Amino acid sequence: MASSHLDDDFKGRFDPRVWRKLLSYLRSCRGAVVRIAIGGAAIAIIEALLPILVGQLLDEAHQNGFAGNLLPLASIYIVLFILFASCVWLFIRAAGDVATGVGYALRRDCFKKLQELSFSYFDARPVGWLTSRLTSDCGRISGTLPWVILDLVWGSLMILGTSVAMLYINPRLAGYVFWTVPLLIVASLMMQRLMLHSGRQARRTNSAMTASFNEELLGVRTTKALVREEKNLAEFQQLSTQMNTWMLRNAVQNAVYLPMIMTIAAAAAGLALWKGGALAGQDMTPGRLVAFLQFATLFAQPIQELSQRFADVLNASTAAERVVSLLETKPEIEDGPGVIAAMERQRVSPRPGAAIDGGSPRIRELRFEGVTFWYKPNVTVLRDFDLVVHEGQTVALVGATGGGKSTIVSLVARFYEPREGRILFDGVEYRDRSLHWLQSNLGVIQQVPHLFSGTIRDNIRYGKLDATDAEVESAARRVNAHGFVCELEKGYNFDVGECGEKLSTGQRQLIALARAVLRDPQIFIMDEATSSVDTSTERLIQGGIEEVLRDRIAFVIAHRLSTIRRADIILVIDGGRVVERGTHRQLLALRGRYFELYTNQYAVEREAQLFGAPSELTESSSPA
Amino acid sequence: MPRALSTIWRVTEGHRVRYTMAWAALIASAAVLYAVPLVTLATLDGVLIDGGSKASHLSTQIVDWMGGPQFVRDHLWVPGVLLVIITAIAGVFTHLRTRLASGAAESVARRLRDRLYDHLQRLHCRTLDLKQSGDLLQRCTSDVETLRTFLSGQLIEIGRALVMLLAPIPLMLALDWRMTVASVVIVPLIVGFSWMYFRRMRPIFQLKEQEEGKMTTTITENLAGIRVVRAFARQEFEREKFAATSGEFRRQDMDLFKLFARFWATSDLLCFLQTIVAVGTGLWLLASDRLSIGTFFWFITAIGMFLWPVRMLGRILADLGKALVAIDRVREILDTPDEFAGEPETVPTLGTGGARIEFKHVTFGFTDATPVLNDVSFSIEPGTTLGIVGPSGSGKSTIVHLLLRLYEYSGESLRGSILIDGQELKTIPRRTMRGMIGTVMQQPFLYSKTLKENILISAAGHRNDESAMQSAAAVASVHNSIEEFPLKYETMVGERGITLSGGQRQRVAIARSLVQDPRILVLDDAFSAVDTHTEADILQSFRARDAHHTTIIVAHRLSTLMHADRIIVLDHGRITQSGTHEELLAQPGMYRTLWDIQTSLDDPDELPDGAAAVAAL
Repeated sequence: MASSHLDDDFKGRFDPRVWRKLLSYLRSCRGAVVRIAIGGAAIAIIEALLPILVGQLLDEAHQNGFAGNLLPLASIYIVLFILFASCVWLFIRAAGDVATGVGYALRRDCFKKLQELSFSYFDARPVGWLTSRLTSDCGRISGTLPWVILDLVWGSLMILGTSVAMLYINPRLAGYVFWTVPLLIVASLMMQRLMLHSGRQARRTNSAMTASFNEELLGVRTTKALVREEKNLAEFQQLSTQMNTWMLRNAVQNAVYLPMIMTIAAAAAGLALWKGGALAGQDMTPGRLVAFLQFATLFAQPIQELSQRFADVLNASTAAERVVSLLETKPEIEDGPGVIAAMERQRVSPRPGAAIDGGSPRIRELRFEGVTFWYKPNVTVLRDFDLVVHEGQTVALVGATGGGKSTIVSLVARFYEPREGRILFDGVEYRDRSLHWLQSNLGVIQQVPHLFSGTIRDNIRYGKLDATDAEVESAARRVNAHGFVCELEKGYNFDVGECGEKLSTGQRQLIALARAVLRDPQIFIMDEATSSVDTSTERLIQGGIEEVLRDRIAFVIAHRLSTIRRADIILVIDGGRVVERGTHRQLLALRGRYFELYTNQYAVEREAQLFGAPSELTESSSPA
Repeated sequence: MPRALSTIWRVTEGHRVRYTMAWAALIASAAVLYAVPLVTLATLDGVLIDGGSKASHLSTQIVDWMGGPQFVRDHLWVPGVLLVIITAIAGVFTHLRTRLASGAAESVARRLRDRLYDHLQRLHCRTLDLKQSGDLLQRCTSDVETLRTFLSGQLIEIGRALVMLLAPIPLMLALDWRMTVASVVIVPLIVGFSWMYFRRMRPIFQLKEQEEGKMTTTITENLAGIRVVRAFARQEFEREKFAATSGEFRRQDMDLFKLFARFWATSDLLCFLQTIVAVGTGLWLLASDRLSIGTFFWFITAIGMFLWPVRMLGRILADLGKALVAIDRVREILDTPDEFAGEPETVPTLGTGGARIEFKHVTFGFTDATPVLNDVSFSIEPGTTLGIVGPSGSGKSTIVHLLLRLYEYSGESLRGSILIDGQELKTIPRRTMRGMIGTVMQQPFLYSKTLKENILISAAGHRNDESAMQSAAAVASVHNSIEEFPLKYETMVGERGITLSGGQRQRVAIARSLVQDPRILVLDDAFSAVDTHTEADILQSFRARDAHHTTIIVAHRLSTLMHADRIIVLDHGRITQSGTHEELLAQPGMYRTLWDIQTSLDDPDELPDGAAAVAAL
């Protein structure tokens, strides 16, 4: 929708390499694929046989009347019909197996891949766009595949069967009719290409229109304030006219295609009538003539179907390209071969008390040595950064936005890796340790706390999946969350809604704290929010933070004076460098940047106090 | 249902003729299509089979028209060519039908989208607040699409099924009434079966959509919280969670396939039943010489032609409900009153120079219970500046919204009056009022256009006034930043462009309002992301410009408003203090306390520290 520019990378042409990769998913539902093929083949053969049967029935009735010979033929006719219906049942179910099976497998693999990819991938792609890949793209691909198989088998057999039948009845006549086939193919391919193009343009314009509606809703107050209603409408009308043009073109192309096919099919019938009629009375019985006439028009159907299917494949190509590109992306940050080998060794012959990669399970010291980092090549965010932190120490990072504070914290968590320099845990380069081990020992609280849909208990338990209810409650108590939870109707069973939307920001923050405390991580990372929370909840949160910071290595991007003052090491970061370093008293005495930041924040907090609790029910929504 | 039908009627205005012509073409094409196998029938009966001895009256007539049996026998290409020509004619009618119907449907859809777009931006702010934007978006896009598909697709398909079924009946009866009965006897069963089946499938569809929704939520939550997932090393857990919903969705999807398999197989059997009845009857009649081969062939072909649309009829009828719901949803938006109802379309301008603004005992609230403004009275002389300060929720922004008439202040929600140059605000058309006011909000909205277009957006005739743009940007202290962007003023903002920082957005919005040069300028917390030095520069440049504006500044930082001609302190909807900066400093109260906090001068020994400070906070 709104991030259509991300799709500009994808060409939407038929790329056999891409489809081959997707075809490999068919291997897992081989049985169903075979059933589709059998069903399709049987249907094609029956459809080819039926006109012959009708012809024979006709001849019988014509020559011998409604007599005994008719019955066996009639019963074959009926049996074929029943067989036909059973094949339809068979192949639709098989198609369902293929579609749902391939869809499931594709989604599973895409999801798994996303769990492994580095954050740089996520930074460039909005959540909505990624979600579409798993839902609509996978659905499109898995929806197209079974019908492609079916039509390939059915179509080719129909054409084959019809041709064989006609050749059997009268080869020379068949020859005449075959002339129309290339016409059908050329007409179909030509029109499909045109319709594909206009269809794509229409879809593109549709996305632009949706984005336009979206923007309109977001900026409606500004539009009113600037009295821009008419101008906005004029701009929108350009888009809607464009849409109209493309949709109309597509419809007209469709309206040309069908009659074209109809007429070519009629030409085949006409030829059959002319040439076949001339042979009437010779070895061309009326029944055979009628059968032939029916066959002559039977070509058009499979060719039409096949060309439509080809168009479907092309339409699904962009989806296919995107999904394959996702599946083939390699994560930037993963365990190196040495680590993998060490993990294997540990698994096979575990050393007691060691971590899953054989190394020390405890982190006593964390060291940054000359670490430099950039997100984009010319924009260095962190320069030559050095730091030593010991177990039990809290590091507070303060400074202006974009100074490099969140980078430091992301590097500790190995969400990103240093471009230059090293990070060492107890003297061991952290890239030589298992990624999973490190991240199992982390507790993270973000600026905007993220919860999952489910109960409060489930959310807290995310910190330790096998925690007992008592452990969950004790964690909640330690961070002052227990109080508000008990006031809720269902208590710990309260469903927090999608992304925790049923709780206030402050409440979500407390649950996130409880989750982190339950985890009892060795390294704790926190990005303090500056959002307004009422004073009483604020007090609870401060107490909760105090609890969480105790007894472990902690990195806090701090705003609250209470947090900053308590830290063992305060780093003032500006322009990617540490400009001041020390304890609160030491830095205050310097009368430098820290002093300025501190007095500023002090004023902010006192002012907040003066104004009292900001109520949740202020006048409506954010201004334009 | 009747409301939906009346909406369709309303919405197709101006295109009904085209649409009716589409139906006429539909009928014509059906009639011609059934004529095609007549040629074959006539040729077979009248010429080819048994020397034409058993030809019916109709066949003989057709053969005579073609040139007589002998001629046709020697020139069999004549019926052949005739087949092609008649089919081509039918093709032309089919083409016309599609073209006309789609053309009408597309035009209707376009006009509807335009109307919805326009209507949305004219709705009252209150209405918009109460609705969910996602829901509104869906109505304007997918519901309109459903309507379009209904008009160009479903309605025509229903027509086609009916016409294809009913059109040949007279011809059928003319040919052989017994075969007629045999050919249509099962049809009601076929239609009824598919209609009933699809009705019963509807709840299963909904179940599948529900599961899809759940699956999407799981994915979205996971991706939005990917940092939490990694940080807690919960990849395995998440994969299992996803496998559960994905698996459930798969089950529902498969259930649908199974239902479809049963439907199509049964439907096929029913159609075959119909064919068998017709073929059997035909053969029996044929055997006793009561039916010609040509006629038999014609009936078989005809059945083949109408069975398919008839099978689809049941399904379309069952899906009809969805289309009607979508149409209703669109109608709901169009029927919501817009805020310009009763106001002139063109916007008269009102006066020049600074305006005089008066609030007299204004009390306003969204609900009667809690008024946001309580007996607020103040006046602003033309050309002067008023500063408003107070905690969030005190009503500061509401004053701005009322001036812009974003919220309606008539009726029970408001008492008191607001006068602009002595004229009651209620009586001034909204767009006139808004044309007079320039606003800069705390989180300003910029359009997805270039910076130049955004800044010059209000300049009616001066789209390319580069100098005005640059001087406004200079006053707003944003010119230098813009010059550093790769494309400078041509840089795009928004989705396809760069994301500006909070301070940059505010300064661009300030530049925008400077270009607008309105009689009343409102700055609602417009400097919150701008640092004090820059803010002072901008305010300085403001003051240097001519004083033909009335200005209202709402702010937190007293440095922003200290030079205002008058300052009011708003607390919980009431004016608690009022006066100039100096006067307010002289009184004890919130203003002075704020001032003290914000300018607390630096004696580190005076600063609270350690345990005592923690307790104090």
